[in-house]
Parts: sequence; C-alpha cells; structure tokens
Amino acid sequence: MRRQKRKQKVEGPNVPIAPMLDMAFQLLTFFVLTYHPAPQEGQFVMTLLPPQPATAMAAAPAANQAAPSNELPVALRTLPTILKAGDGGSLARIVVEQNEVPNDPKALEEALGKYLQDPDLPFDQTLIKVDPKLRYAELMTVINAFSNAFVKARKDPKLSFVELRPDEGE
Amino acid sequence: MAGSVTGEVRAEPNLTPLLDVVFQLITFFMLVVNFTADNYDQRVHLPVAGSARPVEDTQRVSEDRIVLNVDREGHLLVGGQVQPLNEALQTIKHQADLVKLNLKAAGQKVDPASGLPTTIVFRADKDSTFSSVMTLINACQTQGFRKFALKAMTST
Repeated sequence: MRRQKRKQKVEGPNVPIAPMLDMAFQLLTFFVLTYHPAPQEGQFVMTLLPPQPATAMAAAPAANQAAPSNELPVALRTLPTILKAGDGGSLARIVVEQNEVPNDPKALEEALGKYLQDPDLPFDQTLIKVDPKLRYAELMTVINAFSNAFVKARKDPKLSFVELRPDEGE
Repeated sequence: MAGSVTGEVRAEPNLTPLLDVVFQLITFFMLVVNFTADNYDQRVHLPVAGSARPVEDTQRVSEDRIVLNVDREGHLLVGGQVQPLNEALQTIKHQADLVKLNLKAAGQKVDPASGLPTTIVFRADKDSTFSSVMTLINACQTQGFRKFALKAMTST
C-alpha cells in the first residue's frame, strides 16, 4: 500500500542574469568615475555689524549676542588688532593693543593667550583692522590663531574685522 | 563533413553572488555621492585653517544660507559665471529682496538690529585680497545681512 514518491525534476524559468550584470557594471562604472569626494571644509561663523562708532556698538549689541559679562563698555572689552600687509599681500606686521607681536601663528597664539587668559584684563572680543592689500589666506591664519586662543581661554570666539585706514597703524 | 553533436560540458558559472556584490557597490556609491555639493566651485582654492568647524549636514539643511564664491581676482562667481562688481552688487541685492519677500510671505518681521536671518557663506579664494572680500561683505551688510560664515579647509 505504500506509494513511492518519485522525485520530479522541477524546471523553473531560466532568467538570464548576464544582461542585468552588464547594466549593473555600467552603473558601477558611472558612479566610480563620477565619484569625487568633496574636501573637508570648515567655517568660522561670525556676526558682522556694519561699521559704526564704538559707543553706538555698545548701545546696540547684536541680537544673538549674550548679555555682556560685565558692565564695561564694548570698546574696553575689545582687543584691538592691526594687520599690515607687505609685498604681494603677505602679512608684514601684527599689532595687538599697540604691541607688535611676532609674525608667526604659534607665537601669535601664545601672545593672544596672554591677553585673553589674564583675569585682570577685560577682553572678551576682538576687532581686527586689516590692510586692504592683505591676502585672504593670511587673514584666515590670524583668525585661526584668534579662534584657538579664545578656545584655550574658554571664551566664545567673537571676531569682527574692518578695513584699515591708510593713516592707521603707522 | 557534417558535424556531429558531441556531449560538450558547458561551464555555467553562478553569477548571482557577483550581481549581489555589484549591487551593493552601486548602493554604496549612490549613497555617498553628493550631487548638491554646497555650491562647490572648483576654481576657488580655500585657505587652510585647522580650527574651522566642519558644517554638519543637519545644519546645512535647516539653516537658511546663501553661498558666495569669490575667485582669486575678487570677482563673485554665480552659476559658474564671473560677475563684475556692479553685477555682483545687484545679485546680492536680488538675494536680499528674495529673503525679505519670503519672510513677508511667512508673516515674519525683520528686526533691523539682528538683520536678516540668512547666513552668507563666503567661499573666497586664498589669493584674493581682503579689500575685494570686504567690498562684498559691506554690500551684504548694506542689504541687511549680519550673519556670516567664512569657509576654509580644515586640512591641506
């Protein structure tokens, strides 16, 4: 009474994979050729108000600016910095609060640290007066040094810059 | 001369695993490809600043930003075209008008002290002069922009 089951060979549909593989390789080639990893870019975010007298700046702080840390006016809390350009727009002189600072990123950072980390000094922001002929890369080097110095002093970097007048910084 | 059919053994390699791998590679490249690329212009060579903060994708999407590319001559690059200063100033004014129009449509008021909420992102060439960049920054300030971001490479 036992019925023996016979194994039946089931023939499924034969799907040709080769054309699909061809197309997949073409897509892959397209993506490999067009793949261009974007370079890692960063940014310095700042609020730049239009040029106005220091007294007016004190009266009208930026909207997203926190309340002043003390009662001193903005002019006294601002570390004045002057950047003079040399030949070809290179950075020739850096003057921080009327003192000449070595023209080297690390030395600049150390010098700025003395101003920003000293608890007796009120500086919590800086205004950089920049020679119009200065190359943008040189300005960014200085901004980078300022940013590092602010972070080391555990202060929020507040930077702004204006164009240096010809009669200034002599 | 008639050829006779012989019992040939045909090799049929299994292509399915290969196809799987290829599809996975395609998926990878589709995910990492960035078609928008943040108005990236290859003619602009950014300066290097190690402490520049990388922009997060969420910030890029949520924040209202206008990207301005400035070449080494100090000209504004819009849509791949070099714009002379007078046209660049018109472009900035046009962008500011659009932002104001959008704010008006959304029923928001512009606070003159804080300015427009849009951030102007400057991608300026490292060899451009400060005066050319500052001219454009001043033009943006005149139109009511107050928030700026200066782009730099975080490494060489």
